Amino acid sequence: MEGSEREVLLARTFVEIVDTLVDDFDVVDLLTLVADRCVEVLEVSAAGLMLVAPEGDLRVVAYSSEAVRAVELFELQSEEGPSLDAFSTGAPVVNQDLERVNGRWPRFASKAIGCDFRSVHALPMRLRGVTIGALSLFRTHEGAMEESDVIAAQALADVATVAILHHRAASEAQLVNEQLNHALNSRIVIEQAKGVVAEATGLDMEQAFNRLRHHARNHNQRLVDAARAVIDGTLKPEAFDLPGSSRRS
Amino acid sequence: MRVLSLLSADGNTEPGTARLCDVCAEVSAMSGAGIMLMADNAPLGSVCTTNEVSVLIEELQYTLGEGPCVDAHKSGRPVLEPDLADPATLRWLAFSPPALAAGTRAVFGFPLQVGAARLGAMNLYRDRPGRLSDDQHADALVMADVAAQAVLAMQANAPFDTVARELEAGANFHLVEHQASGMVATQLGISVGEALVRLRAHAFSHDLALIEVAEAVVARQLRFDPS
Repeated sequence: MEGSEREVLLARTFVEIVDTLVDDFDVVDLLTLVADRCVEVLEVSAAGLMLVAPEGDLRVVAYSSEAVRAVELFELQSEEGPSLDAFSTGAPVVNQDLERVNGRWPRFASKAIGCDFRSVHALPMRLRGVTIGALSLFRTHEGAMEESDVIAAQALADVATVAILHHRAASEAQLVNEQLNHALNSRIVIEQAKGVVAEATGLDMEQAFNRLRHHARNHNQRLVDAARAVIDGTLKPEAFDLPGSSRRS
Repeated sequence: MRVLSLLSADGNTEPGTARLCDVCAEVSAMSGAGIMLMADNAPLGSVCTTNEVSVLIEELQYTLGEGPCVDAHKSGRPVLEPDLADPATLRWLAFSPPALAAGTRAVFGFPLQVGAARLGAMNLYRDRPGRLSDDQHADALVMADVAAQAVLAMQANAPFDTVARELEAGANFHLVEHQASGMVATQLGISVGEALVRLRAHAFSHDLALIEVAEAVVARQLRFDPS
């Protein structure tokens, strides 16, 4: 591919990646795009991406072909290979001729050669000291990858990394916000139930609350569940256990 | 940076929500500010307010379900009303008259969001009309972002199903209104949701704040059933 033609494609790819970064973008879609574009823009035959899961282990997330998926899954199972090395060291592993790495990753190399790959490169997905995965590139022909291709591939990996870290922060925010709404709704339900109990019994709010809490405890129920039952009418204030009574005694 | 130094100006290492609203108003050179939490396009309550007018602006929106925060949250964009007395677009027919009467001339709503998480909105008001300058607008956007992050940071460490204590400190989650809803629901044999609508309708038609109606119900001075 002509240098200028590749530059145009590369620039388009970055625009395309940025374009996917809407608030609720899909990580797998993004990384699949990166894998596919690596194959189109760089002098490589196949590409795959692994990401670290919350539990700490790597998972194969995106791949440009089934062969790469198979090789990468094998790499994880056999616990040896370039992606694992790039991930654990945070440094690139480039231009590894598969015929000559037998000593380093014997099982991985024979599996990759069995899929017609001749060389492999793995780049860490890394930002500010945090490594979240690795991008691996496979070639079916011999020869070292050009320096400019390595730089371009690392740039693609970097953009994807920034996007994913941003996405995780946003997901975390979403989760906390949902928890906050949930907690506020529980508060509301409890206050409503206090009102129902107060009206039905003539007690004041504090006494009504104590009555509700006493009943919930006696029945090993969460306060909010007892409150919900009061609101939907399945638990009548008249049926409450009175203070001093205990079902378990 | 200016925002952060203001937030810690009182030497408090844990910026509480009260300080947060003051800073929102100070940074954007407004008369007052309030931060409202919302879910499903309806106000849940306010985390903080700077003064009585801000309290009223939040209260009106909670009672009426309309106003700058409600619109900002729904649309995900800033909602700007530089002159409530002479608005470019006619909106908030119930909200505007009492807000004006309380001394509000310009009001602005900015959505609170972090990524796809939409928390509610910040409102700013000023006692005289006028647009936000570009700087004020930019500062308000920063403050809305700081406020959203602060709310989430406070809630992040709260136990499950519990509202963070820092968030509750200066908050008004309309608990009395919900107690009154429970009572009215029982009086009329209707759902608590319907009961809240009845309370709101009563407040609106008697020109009262929802909280006044709710307090009268809880004090057993006002009943909704004919008995």
